[in-house]
Amino acid sequence: MADEFMKGLGLLSGAGLVWMVLAGWYKTPSFAGGQLTSAVPDNLTMYDQLAVILLEGMFWLAIFGAILFWVGIPLGRELYAKYNGE
Amino acid sequence: MTDDETTEKEARTDGTGIVPPDDETPTWSERKERTTGLSRLTYEYFERSRREDQDLREESDYVERDVLAFPTWPHELVRNLALTSFFVGMILFLAATLPPHLGDPANPSTTPSIILPDWYLYWSFGLLKLGPLNPELAILGGEKLLADRTYGVLANVVIVGFIAIVPFLNKGSARRPVEQPFWASVGVMGVVFAFTISTYSAKNLIPLDPHLLFDLTFLVPPIAGAIAYALLKTMREGYMYDLNRRYYKLRPPK
Repeated sequence: MADEFMKGLGLLSGAGLVWMVLAGWYKTPSFAGGQLTSAVPDNLTMYDQLAVILLEGMFWLAIFGAILFWVGIPLGRELYAKYNGE
Repeated sequence: MTDDETTEKEARTDGTGIVPPDDETPTWSERKERTTGLSRLTYEYFERSRREDQDLREESDYVERDVLAFPTWPHELVRNLALTSFFVGMILFLAATLPPHLGDPANPSTTPSIILPDWYLYWSFGLLKLGPLNPELAILGGEKLLADRTYGVLANVVIVGFIAIVPFLNKGSARRPVEQPFWASVGVMGVVFAFTISTYSAKNLIPLDPHLLFDLTFLVPPIAGAIAYALLKTMREGYMYDLNRRYYKLRPPK
């Protein structure tokens, strides 16, 4: 139980940290403009495009990772225990 | 254990047991009524600890140890160094990856459109905007006795004075809110009022009618306090409250 919570929290904060840094690089055009959510600029190099893919991946990893460990796995265990008649 | 008598008298070493120093240990209500000084309290507290320690040592199965706690080095310091390293590393990481923005130098010849103090002073800034509360006296022909700005400054004195008085009204022997729901809800009211008055200080940025916002500033804190009071009163009935009350009784008298 506590392990699952810690894994979910670790994914949420770790992937969220990487997402925050990459979004600060690619999705924050200026200090006064949109923060972390603006559109990605065009004409990116290959490395930048890879970073943008990583950015999107980290965003969804943070969200679905936390949901997986906080909701999915406990739910699956409950169902498993129920169908095994425990 | 060889016989049952020793298990019955066995001293508990996990900190949850209590050994009264004598037969005259006061009940909780007696403790609350007592108003003798701190020196007496301190004496009784340490005497109780000493007695507990003595009883522990007199147990037949007590193992005499040289060390009664973990040494600072390496146990405490390794943990503290790990925590310190984490936060220092996080500062370095964030400073390297997201360097702070260096804006243009401020223009001293123009006034910014939004003037606000640092966020932790918003409450005081909000108290300066209490003009609607400043009474217009009939005997002065609808004039105000104080200018609104003087009134706002005096409101700061009132609030700070109230915060300074609270410790004298309640010495704070409770360690968790369910033990004293009233004072906990007073605290909730204060925290919520700090938030609402801070919001009111930036009223030109809040998408609400200023009059409605002003009313909410003073209506929301008592409502939040009442909800907190009801919640805490309800929680007293539960299992946790029994636990809390048990710990509460273990504490030295105030």
